[in-house]
Parts: sequence; structure tokens; C-alpha cells
Amino acid sequence: MRFLLISCVCCLFMACRSYPEKQNFTEATSQEQTIENPYFSDPSKDYVYKASIDVYGNNFGGLLIVKKMGEATYRIAFTTEMGNKLFDFSLENEALKVNYCMDALNRKLLLNVLEKDFTTLISQNLNVKHAYINAESRIFESELYDKKHFYFLSSQLDKIVRVTNGKEKVVFEFNNVVDNMARQIAITHNNIDLNIHLKTIY
Amino acid sequence: MRKLIYLMLFFSVFVQAQQPLASNEAEALKAKVKAKSKTTTTISSSFIQYKHLDFLSNDIITKGNLTFKAPNMIKWEYVDPFKYYVIFKDETLHINDNGKESNVNIGSSKLFKQLNQLIIKSVKGDMFDEDTFDISYYKKDAFIEVHFGIKDEQFLEYMKAFHILFNKDGDVEEVKMLEQSGDYTKIVFKDRELNKPVSDAFFAH
Repeated sequence: MRFLLISCVCCLFMACRSYPEKQNFTEATSQEQTIENPYFSDPSKDYVYKASIDVYGNNFGGLLIVKKMGEATYRIAFTTEMGNKLFDFSLENEALKVNYCMDALNRKLLLNVLEKDFTTLISQNLNVKHAYINAESRIFESELYDKKHFYFLSSQLDKIVRVTNGKEKVVFEFNNVVDNMARQIAITHNNIDLNIHLKTIY
Repeated sequence: MRKLIYLMLFFSVFVQAQQPLASNEAEALKAKVKAKSKTTTTISSSFIQYKHLDFLSNDIITKGNLTFKAPNMIKWEYVDPFKYYVIFKDETLHINDNGKESNVNIGSSKLFKQLNQLIIKSVKGDMFDEDTFDISYYKKDAFIEVHFGIKDEQFLEYMKAFHILFNKDGDVEEVKMLEQSGDYTKIVFKDRELNKPVSDAFFAH
């Protein structure tokens, strides 16, 4: 009985540990007050990605198009390869405005997921709350829409992890970076069965 | 004053570029396209697709090949800048996305069936159905452009109109699909060949 009690307390203690503790990050002092996600920051560029989306056993594709319109304003559209537009959003200061959304996709739950994912994906300047290091990266903790986000930097921004209750909920990985453009991006959700792979078309 | 002259010049060019067509010429085009549609067993063509979104600096350009075989098989293939094709055959939509294959049964969806029919018809240009479209004809340089405004409210969600550019022989040179927002997809056909033998196996999947 005592053993069970100790085990339970240990489990509870483990579960309550913060994400940096679980990941064995070492706290660091940071010179940076802010960090930058540069991957959608150039207003003169049209960011066009071929997207492959796996959701609950189904796969579908299309083109994800992102354009920075102003300091904190973005347009994000998704079309089929044949050109049919499925949605067209404006994203400004973490708020999504639907310019167009095909009826079949116009669901509050889906729009909420997309609003959060796109906000994380495109938000350029982030305030640093804490800084850490591990063997490979410098890690900066920031906050978007009241959720903790951890930014992993080596010579470039490699990864963003959204964390809730010490657990990785969504992971954004940036690969094959050329001229501040991530040519490949993977978005993996650990709380729902939704994975998105993006690859630049040019 | 100079600005005014430029403006007038611009509008006169615009008016010249797109004049309404006389009704006898419109009837002649319609007859030509319908006759050609009846005798067309296959269409093989390459194409360049321009996706225009007003907020982008440049249109998104993709290139590929289109193959149609009567009565209702189409392979729509993109080869640049990515590999992707879709085959419309019977009641199935077969997709090959860079090797990743999937099938969509469109048999149960009236909307998909109608959309499929529209794509086939637009490739041949034979869309002269006054119940489905508001049709208007324009002369555009050496070509004739026909505007097919969609009447069906269900379709209006996806598309506002088709603008099809015909050459003097009644062949489709361009198809432009316009959305409510003003954004559009324009497909320009190149090296179009009619009635070249194409085996059914080409549409196998």
C-alpha cells in the first residue's frame, strides 16, 4: 500500500514537471529580448507550398499560399492543384478573418485549429520569457494566444513546439532553409490525428 | 490633357479588344463547336495554368498535359513544378499525388458529377446550354470569347463564370474560371491535337 502511494506521488510529481525539466534543458541567460521567425517575413515574396495533409486516415493535397500584407497582416489561402479555392483567410494580430471558406470546411473546430497553427507558423517577432540550452540548440520560451511556445535555434530556427501542461501538442519543423525560406515544413499534431507537410513549389 | 488622350486611347483599345459579336457570327461559332464536339473522339494537349489571386505579386504558374477520350474520360496531369495527376473515369476520381494514390467515389455526389461534366464540356467548349448559363459573345482580336455566367446557386459558391476563348476553327484556346471574388484560374492550351489514337489503358489506375 505504501509502495502504491509512493508510486502515485512519484507519477504525479513526474506529470507536474515543466516541459524544460522533462526535456532536461539547462536554464541560460539570454541577451535577446525578442527572437525572430523569418520564414514568412518578406512582403515582396509569394510563399507557395505544395501541401500534403493527413487527417484521420485520409490524405489530400493542394497549394498553401501565404503573403505578408502589412506589419502584422497576412493572407493565407488554400487551393486544389487544379486551382479551386478552398479557403482564403486574413490573419492579423492572432485573429482570423474568413474571406472565403468552402461550405464543407467552414467548421468552427477546424477554423480554430487553423487559426492557431497559422498564427504560430507566421508570427515573426516573439518576446522571450525564458532561455535554455541543450546539446543541439538554444531554446527560447515565448507565448502566443496564451500558449507556451518553445523556439529551437541552431544556426537557424529549426523547430517550434507548442506546449500545454508540459506536453508537446504541436511541433513545427523547418528544413532545407535557403535565403530565409524554409523549403520544407512539417506540422505534427500530437493531440489530434492531423499532420501537414509543406514543400515549396519553386 | 496628355493623360486624357492616354485614357481615351486605352479605352478605345479596350473596346476594340472586346466587342460584342453579331448574332449570326455567334450562331456560326456555336454550330461549329457543336459539330466539332460530335466528331471529337480524343483531345491531347499540353497546357499552362495561371492561378491569379489578387493579393499575390505573381500568378502561380503550373504546366501539364490534358488527355480526353469520349465519352467521359479525362487525365489532367501536372508535370511542373510538381508531379500530380487526376483521372476522371466512370464514377471515380483517381488522384496520384507524386506517387501517393487515392480514389474518390463521386457516384453519390450530384455536385461532383455535375462538376465533372462541366470540366469535360469546358475542354471541348461545348457549353451552349442556356438553362445553365447566361451566355454572351465577344470578339477579341482574331478570337471569339464566350462568357458562360453560371446560373445554378449551388455552383455559384465555387465559380461565377467560365470565359472560353475560341479560335476561328472553333477550337478552345483558353479556359478561364472566375470566382466570386474576382480571382481566377486561366488554362492556356498548347499543341492541341484532336482524334489522335489514345488507348483506354492510358486511363487505367
